[in-house]
Amino acid sequence: MNNIILLIVLIAIVTFIPRLIPAIFVNKLDFGVKAKKFLNLLPFTALAALICPGVLTVDTKIWYVGLVGAVLAGVLSWKKVPLGAIVIITVTALIIFYTIIGFLL
Amino acid sequence: MGIGYAAIAIKGGLNPFETVGMSILVYAGAGQIIAASMIVNGATIINIVLTSFVVNFRYFIMNTVVFNKVTESNTKLNILSAHFVVDECFALFSLMDESSIWTYLGVSIIPYLSWVLGAIIGVSVLNMLPVIVTNSFNISLYALFIAILIPNLKRSKTITLMVIITGILNYLLQFVIGNWSLIVATLIGAIIGTYIVDDKELDLEVEKEIINQGTVKEENHE
Repeated sequence: MNNIILLIVLIAIVTFIPRLIPAIFVNKLDFGVKAKKFLNLLPFTALAALICPGVLTVDTKIWYVGLVGAVLAGVLSWKKVPLGAIVIITVTALIIFYTIIGFLL
Repeated sequence: MGIGYAAIAIKGGLNPFETVGMSILVYAGAGQIIAASMIVNGATIINIVLTSFVVNFRYFIMNTVVFNKVTESNTKLNILSAHFVVDECFALFSLMDESSIWTYLGVSIIPYLSWVLGAIIGVSVLNMLPVIVTNSFNISLYALFIAILIPNLKRSKTITLMVIITGILNYLLQFVIGNWSLIVATLIGAIIGTYIVDDKELDLEVEKEIINQGTVKEENHE
């Protein structure tokens, strides 16, 4: 329990420091084009690394449950369904999916 | 999204107090979800803290832009408002004609309050749900990630290539370095990306994505 509070405080610190530095040293910071591009790309690669292969561990026993959800979310997103709706539909679909497998197994 | 974060945090073993506390103290949308899912996977503290630092480092860039624009301000007010930068208010403020620090504080406090409120709603609602439903919530995080990525992949072939390389890299690296593969693959993927991603595609995409996220988030709160 104490570990979790320590962890939260540490994450808060390493998140706040990069936010704080520009607030103090305004006008003294400038990046190269390449560095800016690298920092802009980080969120994309972080998401990619989180999805693959994490999505296959959604259910530790039945690996393809995550794959079913991922494909559904991908298709919905491709069809320009709003973000909130994608999450709600995917979760609902998995509840139905679990119920069906429950009958088959 | 705040509710989705709460679902993962609770699953990672955080109590409701810690879950909401993290939203208040850390305040980093995707960053918090990443941290929470790493707790679920049993990653080490150092690993989680380092990954959070890397993923949340973009706020450094955003605040650099914000405080270069801000007028009618001083260092004290800047420090006070530094905590509240996220993608949504950064995009809004960058596009606004107004440049007063008070406008920025107004624009940034609303997403903050709704993020904290989302976590509070999340922890109160989740206690009342049956097990099969909370199990299915595991997918919500990945559905969210995929929904954020796909519109960008659709428009940019070079970002798609970078994303695929990163995914494969992470898959292979986990057999060698375990949980550290996440941060290593993220960094290597972005380095490769600086060489292969088309500059024009990136500029457009980042801006559009941020604006889209802003509008979607507002709709969600209704």
